[in-house]
Amino acid sequence: MSTLSAHSSLDRDPDDNTVEIPGTRAPLVLHLETFAEVTSTVCRVAEARRAPMAWYVAFALSLSLLGFLGFCVTYLIFTGVGVWGLNNPVMWAFDITNFVFWVGIGHAGTLISAILFLFRQKWRTGINRFAEAMTIFAVICAGLFPGVHVGRVWFAYWLFPIPNQMDMWPQFRSPLLWDVFAVSTYFTVSLVFWYVGMVPDLATLRDRAKGKIQQIAYGLFALGWRGSNRHWHRYERAYLILAALSTPLVLSVHSVVSFDFATSQLPGWHTTIFPPYFVAGAIFSGFAMVLTLAVPARELFGLKDLITLRHLDNMNKVILATGCMVGYAYSMEFFVAWYSGAPFEKFAFVNRAFGQYWWAYWIMVSCNVITPQLFWFKSIRTSIPLMFILSIIVNVGMWFERFVIIVTSLANDFLPSSWDQFTPTWVDIGTMFGAFGLFFTLFLLFCRFLPMIAMAEVKAVMPAADPHHKQSHDHGRAH
Amino acid sequence: MSHAPQADFSSKNTQLGPASFAARNAAVLGVIAILAGVYLGKSGAFNTDTRTFWKMYLVAFLFGLTICLGGLFFVIIQFLTRAGWSVAVRRPAEALASNLKWIWLLFMPILWMFFDGTAGMLFPWADLATMEANDPSMAHLVAKKAAYLNANFFIIRAVAYFAIWALLAWFFTSNSTKQDQDGAMHRTLSMQKWSGPAAILFALSISFAAVDWVMSLSPAWFSTMFGVYFFCGCVTGGYASLALITVRLKRHGLLQGIVSGEHLQDLGKLLFAFGMVFWAYIGFSQYMLIWYANLPEETGWFLTRQVGGWLPVTLILLFGHFVLPFVAMISRWPKRYGVSLAVGAAWMLCMHWIDVYWLVMPEIPNDIGTFATYDDLVATYGTQANGLDNPLNYILTVGVALLVFAGTAAYLRGRSLVPTRDPRLHESLSFENA
Repeated sequence: MSTLSAHSSLDRDPDDNTVEIPGTRAPLVLHLETFAEVTSTVCRVAEARRAPMAWYVAFALSLSLLGFLGFCVTYLIFTGVGVWGLNNPVMWAFDITNFVFWVGIGHAGTLISAILFLFRQKWRTGINRFAEAMTIFAVICAGLFPGVHVGRVWFAYWLFPIPNQMDMWPQFRSPLLWDVFAVSTYFTVSLVFWYVGMVPDLATLRDRAKGKIQQIAYGLFALGWRGSNRHWHRYERAYLILAALSTPLVLSVHSVVSFDFATSQLPGWHTTIFPPYFVAGAIFSGFAMVLTLAVPARELFGLKDLITLRHLDNMNKVILATGCMVGYAYSMEFFVAWYSGAPFEKFAFVNRAFGQYWWAYWIMVSCNVITPQLFWFKSIRTSIPLMFILSIIVNVGMWFERFVIIVTSLANDFLPSSWDQFTPTWVDIGTMFGAFGLFFTLFLLFCRFLPMIAMAEVKAVMPAADPHHKQSHDHGRAH
Repeated sequence: MSHAPQADFSSKNTQLGPASFAARNAAVLGVIAILAGVYLGKSGAFNTDTRTFWKMYLVAFLFGLTICLGGLFFVIIQFLTRAGWSVAVRRPAEALASNLKWIWLLFMPILWMFFDGTAGMLFPWADLATMEANDPSMAHLVAKKAAYLNANFFIIRAVAYFAIWALLAWFFTSNSTKQDQDGAMHRTLSMQKWSGPAAILFALSISFAAVDWVMSLSPAWFSTMFGVYFFCGCVTGGYASLALITVRLKRHGLLQGIVSGEHLQDLGKLLFAFGMVFWAYIGFSQYMLIWYANLPEETGWFLTRQVGGWLPVTLILLFGHFVLPFVAMISRWPKRYGVSLAVGAAWMLCMHWIDVYWLVMPEIPNDIGTFATYDDLVATYGTQANGLDNPLNYILTVGVALLVFAGTAAYLRGRSLVPTRDPRLHESLSFENA
């Protein structure tokens, strides 16, 4: 055993950590030997006087999209929901599609930080911080849509069961209300998890800060962290408990979102596999979005040694696995629609594939099931341009999945005389793209001012963190 | 990097000694029990009609099968995720999986029914003429499924499932065993490489096996979640058995310094996560969605399971498969000590048997759609017995369990209890739970 691993560590190309010889674990941090180097690599971004040019360009673009979102939403509120292309029977379309899409995106962060933590996947440390940030911003985008969809936005607080003199309560038996609880709980716990994990890193930024404003700002949020033994001990316990609390939330949020559809009697919506299928799809799209963000971010901010090719390779594998699960669900739905013998079920699925929205269905299938199969090949999993393109394809596919589920089932229900077709208006499309503006604006601000990588956690998985680090260098790798 | 304690890999610590009398004869006893069960069932002992008997046989078979499938899944997933922690406890899982090479023999009596024309006894869709006479509307519906539910295709699929499982079991067990001799790295690499396709084959085969062997017992009913529910059963049975075997070997004085409380805790965590929580999540989702939408073509299946003698069984599952063990096993220590983990695992194994029984045995009455109210249904079927007091159940189940035990023990006896030359063994010896 010892000869094998010693041999392999000699053979390894220092720049390629995607090869893992069983028995040794590939390094998760490349080129950076000491903790100080990690700290300066990560803090450099927040401490630079000016961001890279590309950041300003991206920020300007995002900000203008955000402005357009503001315009669309204001127009909607002042005019009414009629400015969208909704009709009877298609009373949910882009709005709820966007809602489900963004909630789905918001799944990767907590999965990476909670479930992968419980599974002792050390590679998660390189990506968890900004995946969690992405989660929070995605849930903010998601929350926007039901909020404006209620029509009279000034009554949106009625979504919550607030005691009132009229004794009016939301319908507790409605999954739409469960959604309010599920999504707000998820948002709260994700935010706490993200913030608690960031405290030691904020303290690092505080200690390094040169300017008064930075010192006060980072100092305020670092909560007096001094890095004492007792601090670390409590921090680790809190982190473990938060991870355990977040784990069921990863499953519950999108399960509850799926209940919005599956509790109904509508063919194509009412199917029992929806909860795990939605969760798998959410993780699928969430990881794709993490990849879409990670690929440019690591280039732009010089983080390639911390978010290595191995991290990207692993994420591609998760995308492949969850893509297969989604494919399983599509096939099972189709099979059971036929097997059920129920003519409405059968019609709903045949209509999806060959009806008026056939193009949306086939975009969904090819983006979500067929193209991710390319990730079986390592050369594609480790090719930066290809994985970037594939991650965007998955994002597109998952948006269309929600569109297909929502619109095709509503447009052609039981009674042909009430069928109608949905056509989006410019406000629909504007709001959809505008939400990306909100998302990217928040994300770019995060990249600029907060520690993008969990420094303290990355340091713990480096060889330098091992108390026997020096010895094993002296005696070769002793096993 | 690692600083593994020097573990003892001598045969004293990693080899099962010669078989005891009971172990040597487990297979014989198992065959005798099954033959006795078949004889008693066929002759109508304990007032057992033929259909009930065959269902009992199916329960016993599925109980053994799901345990072995759970073992196979454990092995596949360890290679898929390149796990290091699990190497020390992988051999018993391989042993469970190795039974898949012969377990098809137990399915032969069921397949035989398709050749002598009595399959309609167990699978109503196989005898549409009788169904037509009893319930024409149901026959009309089921006839539409004939492209899938017909004897020939059923047999072909069954052969395919067993071939897939035997092939996967053979591939992983033989490579792992041979690695004990040659220590070849390429074996680990090739098992890793094929674990992806293996997982896909596994998922598809168990899902459709669940449709064929369980869902089609009530041929009008359908649920897209069913394959996933069946999967939960496989991992409950498999992980519980794996924990039991591991604890048992340790109590034998074996694997000292190799399998530690860390491994037990992880096995306990997996059983907790998949056998209790994930099972409950899938079971709840399936039930809740069907209850909520309240479509008559779907609710009959659950209605049958909540009236008469079936209500207590359903409640036993709710509390025994989830609530109680969830509370009992959530802490750290019950998973780390052999005794408490073994009690939890044995409990879950019993619950898994009840789960299979609950899936297979209840009969949806033909006239279930004709009742105006729930109370009318209860008035008519509220006295239905669940049949758990029929000793035949236990004779057959014990027979199958003995055979699985014998196969598992024989596999373990034939090689080291630990994959001694697995390249990741040192990781498994030195990891610690946070």
